[in-house]
Amino acid sequence: MKFEIIHRTIYLYASPVRDSFNEARLQPFSNATQTVDSFFLKVLPAARLRHHHDFYSNTIHHFEIVEPHSTLLVESHLRVTTRLPALPAKTDSPWPLARIGEVLQEPRIFDFLQDSHYVELSPEVWRLAMDATVGVNDTWQAALAILKFIHENFIYESKSTSVHTHMRDVLQEKRGVCQDFAHVMIGLCRALKIPALYVSGYLATEIASATHAWVEVLIPGTGWIALDPTHNRPVDDTYVKIAVGRDYADVPPVAGNYKGTTERKLEVKVDIKRLE
Amino acid sequence: MSDETGKKPDSRLDSTAPMNETSVEPPEISAAPPVKNQRAAQLFDESVAADGKLRPHYAKFFGSLEQIGAGELERRWENGRRLVQEQGITYNVYGDTRGMERTWELDAVPFLIAAEEWRTLEAGLIQRAELINRILADCYGPQHLIRTGGLPPALIFGQPDFLRPCHGIQPKRGKFLIFYAADLARSPDGRWWVTSDRTQIPTGTGYALANRLVTSRTLPEAFRDCQVHRLAGFYREVQKTLAQLAPLNTENPRVVMLTPGPYNETYFEQAYLARYLGYQLVEGQDLTVRDDKVFLKTLAGLEAVDVILRRVDDEFCDPLELRNDSILGVPGLVGAARDGNVTIANLPGSSLLQSPAFMAFLPGLCRHVLGEKLKLPSVATWWCGQKSAENYVLEHLDELFVKPAFRQRQPGPALERNLSAAARAALVARIKFQPHGFVAQEWVELSTAPALDGGKLVPRPVSLRVYLVATENGYAVMPGGLSRVAPRAGASFVSMQHGGMSKDTWVLSDQPVPEVSLLSATGPNIELRRVGNNLPSRLADNFFWLGRYAERADATTRLLRSALRRFTPERGGGSLPHLAPLLETLEKQGQLKGHQSQKQSQPGQSQSMSRQNPEALEAGLLAAIFDPQRDGSVRQLVGHLQRIAMFVRDRTSNDLWRAANQLGDLLANAPKEKILLAADALGILNQTLLGLASFHGLARENMTRAQGWRFIDIGMRIERALSLCTFLDCSLRSPEADNPSVLEAVLEVADSTLTYRSRYNLLPNIAAVYDLVLLDDTNPRSLFFQINQLAQHFERLPREMESVTPQQKILRDCSSRLRTLDTRELAVRAGNWSGGETGKLVAETLRDLPRLSDAIAVSYFAHSEISRTGGGCQP
Repeated sequence: MKFEIIHRTIYLYASPVRDSFNEARLQPFSNATQTVDSFFLKVLPAARLRHHHDFYSNTIHHFEIVEPHSTLLVESHLRVTTRLPALPAKTDSPWPLARIGEVLQEPRIFDFLQDSHYVELSPEVWRLAMDATVGVNDTWQAALAILKFIHENFIYESKSTSVHTHMRDVLQEKRGVCQDFAHVMIGLCRALKIPALYVSGYLATEIASATHAWVEVLIPGTGWIALDPTHNRPVDDTYVKIAVGRDYADVPPVAGNYKGTTERKLEVKVDIKRLE
Repeated sequence: MSDETGKKPDSRLDSTAPMNETSVEPPEISAAPPVKNQRAAQLFDESVAADGKLRPHYAKFFGSLEQIGAGELERRWENGRRLVQEQGITYNVYGDTRGMERTWELDAVPFLIAAEEWRTLEAGLIQRAELINRILADCYGPQHLIRTGGLPPALIFGQPDFLRPCHGIQPKRGKFLIFYAADLARSPDGRWWVTSDRTQIPTGTGYALANRLVTSRTLPEAFRDCQVHRLAGFYREVQKTLAQLAPLNTENPRVVMLTPGPYNETYFEQAYLARYLGYQLVEGQDLTVRDDKVFLKTLAGLEAVDVILRRVDDEFCDPLELRNDSILGVPGLVGAARDGNVTIANLPGSSLLQSPAFMAFLPGLCRHVLGEKLKLPSVATWWCGQKSAENYVLEHLDELFVKPAFRQRQPGPALERNLSAAARAALVARIKFQPHGFVAQEWVELSTAPALDGGKLVPRPVSLRVYLVATENGYAVMPGGLSRVAPRAGASFVSMQHGGMSKDTWVLSDQPVPEVSLLSATGPNIELRRVGNNLPSRLADNFFWLGRYAERADATTRLLRSALRRFTPERGGGSLPHLAPLLETLEKQGQLKGHQSQKQSQPGQSQSMSRQNPEALEAGLLAAIFDPQRDGSVRQLVGHLQRIAMFVRDRTSNDLWRAANQLGDLLANAPKEKILLAADALGILNQTLLGLASFHGLARENMTRAQGWRFIDIGMRIERALSLCTFLDCSLRSPEADNPSVLEAVLEVADSTLTYRSRYNLLPNIAAVYDLVLLDDTNPRSLFFQINQLAQHFERLPREMESVTPQQKILRDCSSRLRTLDTRELAVRAGNWSGGETGKLVAETLRDLPRLSDAIAVSYFAHSEISRTGGGCQP
């Protein structure tokens, strides 16, 4: 499918602020399931944009606005073509969960197996993961069992948490938004030594034309498979992936700091148009 | 560490086995006979050999000490301690209720290292620094060592100190580790072991320098006779290296030292070292990044910065890419380093190699990376991230010191030597759940060195920190270091945070030692700079307030002195009209508590309770001097003065700092039992004025007429004008404003009595007195003089082209009002003095001066809070 996406972030400050230094993680990368046809980032007040790639190969734009300003606009224009990702076929020989350690030879996978900013692998999380996968021996089936477990045991409730909510609080409250669902799923998978990473992106369906978050798990023999715990399903070609990381802390769309008032309003708007 | 454990190589992993690497048979150690005190038999004694004889390198030293004699040594050491005090050598102790700064504790007896032994240590340390630099370069670069299996991924990626945003940065000449220090301990068998690697911010070189200064002055004969290596050469290498590592401007690079600020535990040494090396000491807010280049914000604009010698911790260096709650760092700094526009020593992220877990791998890595055997072993270390090590640790839990392998995000429970059964079980569970988070090391039995305690030399456990700096061809070791002794025998580690003492470290040479001076290091191509325009805005702010507080203390002291002189308990205070304006001014400024119900009392009418009761008034006046809790008391103002003097300490002379501290001591140590009466306080006030005068004199005469001085003077002038007008306002409102005794008080407070007498030779006349204190531009205490001086200062300060600044506008208003005033109008008034032109001018000036102060702050001291963006909402 082809989409045109406009993602607008506006900060309105109560009084002029200055020395604003920011990073934007808004430019998606092209891979097997998506091709970025065009990308354009606009910042107002106008600032020179520079970019680099982070540890997970995401594109980060950074810019500074030194002079006083009352409004900051960061707007990305994206055209992207998506394709249906491949899922493990029924015929694929299952990989026993007990042997998952053997495939973890790539050193950097370690990042997706341990604690991170919003994810904590406590003994309780491990217990929960065991409960969710009772009787399951295959890695892919285990990931699906966890997906189902979260869907059955957690309530989706918008605005019930903030962007800084830790996974342990979500486990307590049993409710949250897509970011929290992703964090819980990541925690449960990592507890079983299944590598799991956080994906930020867009979901191009009418119910949620906004930024979204889901999870990728590493299934031996197949590779990274994207699963959406909020909707209890594998990701299809209505999903556009922007950035990946250990958890939300690695991929905030816009982040930075400035000098001046903390009194401000934030408006985020994502317009997604299907082109074909 | 004991000999038995040293012979257990098979229980360790391939990558570990540090102890059998340099297999030297331990010498036979018999019980060393006591020298002056009983010694623990199994410890290594630095000064006495096993046969009870003095070791040769100490023999010469003790010979020299004997010649001095015990009494003389005591006397000299008293002087030495005073030198420590006067130099203001301090160490901030976190959570110390006795005041933030503690005087640095220095032992009189240096720690001696023989020439031959030093050569071995030196070679081992250089090899270790090179190895660590290579490992850092690999971890933050290609990561071959992880891929080829030498390093377990958990050791890198499991550490909070592996800073992912810094991965891929390529520092100039591949120098990740520019500064390095190692903590060394000597085991009972006489061998040196590294107990910790300091790869991020090796602190203590400044203290080492200060220790050398004090000790070499105390023991000059011994210092000369023992042929001690000088330290200056090392600092010259530091200067050379940092200059060479400037990425772009190699001709005349600007090096700054980035400090977390005066509250940091080692701020003293930062200021000391910055001054010694000739670098500007800056805080994060003094720097800014534009287009991935780093600049210093000065009054004259932005100036490029090439090299940053940092004392701010890794994660705090950049709130944009690292910890976003850091207020100590510079947003965009990592980006500037990534772009190769700035050299940071050491690069953020270098604390990665500080993890003790690495010690288990260094021998293997040394063979793999350098193709050599590790020369200087580490204390035996087991990293539980490896199964066999974990098993070993769990089996030998009671013999080992278990600690977190990595820096903790939140400090966990303290790990101790003798664990209860429950604590032991909990520790086992924690290790089993997350083995890679734990490391175990052998307990270090420190050797002992002689220390002076109560006039006697006693053995005390000692550890040594040695410093290295990168050079063009490798590393240079400081011939010396920071030795630390434990406060009591039998300690296993020494920390200045926990009450240890330090020692100068003498590395002895077998040849005469040449003199080295740091000054010659700047080379022939120095660019002469006459006027420094590069004052950071933050410092300008501090200088401004230094001036204001100094003058406020001065004015308050004068007011109180005049009040006390006129006060006699018999007659009471309130009944005397000439005392009223003085007391009112003090009430207005908050130093005296006024009438409870009459907070907004009408001047001239208020007769507060305290003023009617002589005892209460007397107590109030004394509180206004000595009570540290009383707002605006002399004691409190001097406290502010001391605090700000600390903030600008690296920019002012030591004498200025000493003068501020002496004032503080004077007021704090005034014997309470002796100052019950107001009259007793007069002496203290006179001394305070003298002290303030010397403070002013030092600020004026010993500082170049650069911007720092200018801001002190601006602060002083504004404050002087303000306090003068406040007092004149109260005086004019007095129903007896023309009473000669009231006018005399005006002259006294304005310090113009002599000038008046020399001009008029008659009883104070209201028109003449006000003319002198307001309009006379030759009287350095007059309002007009202050305004003129301020106007001149603003002429010379940098400002936007062609525009007249707000502060200049305010001053012009003040000045034109003064020019048109004729104080003779006062002479013809009978009462209601404050209603006339003079009264109006004073009131208007009082209104304008705070506006002036604000305008200065807006123009020059750009501070404001840092806030965070972020938080894009998600469904």
